[in-house]
Amino acid sequence: MLLFLDMAADWKRFVLILVAGASLGLAWNAASGRGFALGQSVLVQTGDELVAAPDGKRLLDEGALFLDARPRDFWRMSRIPGSLPLPEEDFERSFQEAEPRLRRASAIVVYCSGYGCEASHLVARKLREKGIAAAILDEGLPAWQDAGLPLDTEPRS
Amino acid sequence: MTRLLANTRVQLVLRLLLGALFVYASLDKIASPPAFAKAVYQWQVGGPVPSNVVAVTLPWIELVAGLLLLAGAWKREAALVIALLLVVFLVAAGSVMARGIDVENCGCVSVAANAPPSAWPPSWMRGVGWFLVTRNLLLLAAALWIVRGPARLPLLETNGGLP
Repeated sequence: MLLFLDMAADWKRFVLILVAGASLGLAWNAASGRGFALGQSVLVQTGDELVAAPDGKRLLDEGALFLDARPRDFWRMSRIPGSLPLPEEDFERSFQEAEPRLRRASAIVVYCSGYGCEASHLVARKLREKGIAAAILDEGLPAWQDAGLPLDTEPRS
Repeated sequence: MTRLLANTRVQLVLRLLLGALFVYASLDKIASPPAFAKAVYQWQVGGPVPSNVVAVTLPWIELVAGLLLLAGAWKREAALVIALLLVVFLVAAGSVMARGIDVENCGCVSVAANAPPSAWPPSWMRGVGWFLVTRNLLLLAAALWIVRGPARLPLLETNGGLP
């Protein structure tokens, strides 16, 4: 197979296509006005406060309230110990239920299902609009699990 | 079947279809790099910074390779680039499916998020699953066929094309 490809294609042209495409992409991102900063998640906006998993565990031990921004069924299956469900898709109703606890909390950390999940960012911003400061668990539950931190997997109704 | 695929007109149609598909697939991503980055994040392969680099560079590689296929210039190398991309997509799709990650929109063509359930294409065509794997395998076969095809096609390249 490799011999067949080696005979059929000019590898310099092959590399040139890749390099030209990548260069155009980087130039477009830098100069078009449509680009974004490559060094951080595009989900992070001004005002977002991120906490890494080990810092999140320290906050949990100090009594911080954790909020699960995933759909409620995911929270029912497994969650960070002591966390409350506050799904982004059902924010207003869940917020009304949890508002007294949220206003009493010394610190709040919102999480969801990983760096591709925007829900924790959206929930933290909605809380901020209501005058409640909330940090976001950086890279969410996978980072929490990768750090060897505990999950509560007892099913909830 | 082999004779049909070796036919220069069939090769030409395959090349034009593949080129047009990859040019079309690149446009929405190029128009909105942050939206495409969010789509790449959903695959959860490699972390946000590598995903950013992929989101910025991949659409332009698709565009350059697609335009070269349409023009009939460097077509074997352009098809080989597309074959490489498709292999990467297939490996990533296998990883996503093995981990049970639900990707609502693969970002393959459109980067629009939160499409209503009634929208076209339906969710099983937008997400990462067996439809995507089958489609990419067919495209990979077409790309490899162009790689091994004749160096010159009579219809478009007798007087033109890049060296």
